[in-house]
Amino acid sequence: MNFRPTIVAFLCNWCAYTGADLAGTSRLKYAPNIRIIRIMCSGRIDPTFVLKAFQQGADGVLICGCHPGDCHYQEGNYKCLRRFKLLQKYIAQMGIEKERLQLEWISASEGKQFSELVNNMTKTMLTLGPSKIKSSLEVEYIK
Amino acid sequence: MEEPRIGVYVCWCGTNIAKMVDVEAVTTEVGKLPNVVLAKNYKYMCSDPGQELIIKDIKGHNLNRVIVAACSPRIHELTFRNAVEKAGINPYLFEMANIREQDSWVHTDRTEATTKAIDLVIAAVRRVLYHEPLEKRSVSVDPATLVIGGGISGMMASLEIANAGKKVYLIEKTDHLGGHVVKFDLTFPHLSSAKQMMRPILQRVENHPNIEVFLQTEIHEVTGYVGNFKTTLRNKDNEGTELKFGNIIAAVGLKPFDPSKIEEYGYGKFPDVITSMEFEDMLGTGKILTKYGKEPRNIAIIHCVGSRNKKYHEYCSRTCCMAALKFVHQIRAALPSTNIFEIYADMRAYGKGHEEFYAMTTHKQIMFLMYDQQERLPVIRQANRSDDCNMIIEMDEKLSGLPIEVPVDMVILMVNMEAHENVKDVVHAIGVSLCGNQFFIEKHPKLDPVATTTAGVYIVGTCQGPKDIPDSVAQARAAAARILATIEGGTVPVEVTTSFVNEKLCCGCQTCISVCPYSAISFNEIKKVSEVNEVLCKGCGTCGSACPTGAIKCKHFTDLQILSEIEGIMSMSY
Repeated sequence: MNFRPTIVAFLCNWCAYTGADLAGTSRLKYAPNIRIIRIMCSGRIDPTFVLKAFQQGADGVLICGCHPGDCHYQEGNYKCLRRFKLLQKYIAQMGIEKERLQLEWISASEGKQFSELVNNMTKTMLTLGPSKIKSSLEVEYIK
Repeated sequence: MEEPRIGVYVCWCGTNIAKMVDVEAVTTEVGKLPNVVLAKNYKYMCSDPGQELIIKDIKGHNLNRVIVAACSPRIHELTFRNAVEKAGINPYLFEMANIREQDSWVHTDRTEATTKAIDLVIAAVRRVLYHEPLEKRSVSVDPATLVIGGGISGMMASLEIANAGKKVYLIEKTDHLGGHVVKFDLTFPHLSSAKQMMRPILQRVENHPNIEVFLQTEIHEVTGYVGNFKTTLRNKDNEGTELKFGNIIAAVGLKPFDPSKIEEYGYGKFPDVITSMEFEDMLGTGKILTKYGKEPRNIAIIHCVGSRNKKYHEYCSRTCCMAALKFVHQIRAALPSTNIFEIYADMRAYGKGHEEFYAMTTHKQIMFLMYDQQERLPVIRQANRSDDCNMIIEMDEKLSGLPIEVPVDMVILMVNMEAHENVKDVVHAIGVSLCGNQFFIEKHPKLDPVATTTAGVYIVGTCQGPKDIPDSVAQARAAAARILATIEGGTVPVEVTTSFVNEKLCCGCQTCISVCPYSAISFNEIKKVSEVNEVLCKGCGTCGSACPTGAIKCKHFTDLQILSEIEGIMSMSY
């Protein structure tokens, strides 16, 4: 069967989620591999969310927040940026290519940029192939 | 906790969703999930019968959790929360799956879109299992209102509120009230005097006991939340003045486009190429004269300057066509024998009385010449000495298909309306968003055009998008009515999705305090734990992700809810 990557995306409510909605109202078309989770602020991204997504089999994780200086909560996106840098290093040590975790700033008006971002990231995942963590983790997850 | 009994409703949204997503398949698939008592699909969930269906089922099937898979929660989450509340369920035991904006509208493969919809609905089901009822909180409303911008929209909103006996602080960045309208000579389509219309409004605003006007003042920072905002003025006259208010109206307007960016028109190079705003000023002097003091024998009016052109602005400014026709009447009255050329791209006469005004203007002995905005713009060049005119416009006339030359002594550029350079400062201060054209984004494009996603902040007039005087005034008075209703109510509901510290788990590291942008968390020295002030907390959740012990719970965005949502989203692909 052809490889169909899955990307789990965490989008902040005020900029990125609205931008993704705009891509919809503008009827822009993008790859169907993305699954969006809404959070109020990119500052809410707990490293566990990202690791959980990889553990559950996501081939890529995308985080989108407001552009620097535009955060609805003043500076949550900066907190997110710091965590992202650390997380990228961390997942690399776990054997997950760092390209599988991406952080991009998407404003409420950037529907087009969002659709292009999804397409590009999907392409990157297709090049990388399935995430290896998927098969190496055979542990039953305990709720 | 009682056993979750979930009802799932999949919306067709007419064909908007149903065309790309197999709603029947989604319903069947989701219906198999544990705790899902029933799954249904319906044409329009947001319609009254759609909402009634939910309410009836909640009662009939004893549901205690509801999912609606439809449009973006940014559009109808509140609608459905209110519906489930009517049936006696706490509104936070509801969850939405976005299968329109983020699914059916953006994908082209029906199978893929359906699979995605199923994943999203499963995620919502898994999330809602862990939802907890939250109690609504409300705060008292300060009866004063801050209005930013003293143009016609800001003034009309101020008067409406002040006349109801409530205090208004009207902030204007220039040294006078009245905005652009006060500079106009006549208005379209009735050709009545703008100044005559504005004079009593200005007087009423300036002398109103409930309106306090601050000229040459800008807003840099607003703190607080709906019902209880605060700002400190920073300019030489009012340095340090602190204002408190419960609601905000942004009426900052737009500014004329600078046509010197368009090389073809030679604005700035030819003294007799002027903008529509400069022509209004000239009309105010009572004389139409070239820079050499002569009466122009040929005047051209070029439409869509900076509008409807991807190089400048893609949008239509909506008012320039009618303003251009208005100029015809004014020129014809002053200079009966002057040749007038309307050089237009498309004539837009959509408003009340506008088409009739257009028809009436065509009898004024003027020449309409059409150009193609997408092909080649008209080019203005200096005339030769031997020519009987000052300048020549070279253009491809679209209807005849011929390249022509138009002799002119004066050219009026109907400039676009665009955002102020510093619009972002205002946007940041009041916490609203801008669209791609730098217009303020309303809460709902159709059903809530004056509110914003920030409670207590309203947008009126052209800052929301180009519009004429009646539309601006309608918005201004609508926002005023909304605000007066909240003041009358005395209290407004506030964010309940705040953070909460579990004292038993808190280790007292105070990391949360260092990351909170609102100083909403303090340290209790006696208990040695952090405490959240829920009035100050805005629910961003940054503290929750920084807490090393998991002591902080971000209500409605708890770790458990989000982790469960991730599991749900991935459950089919694993």
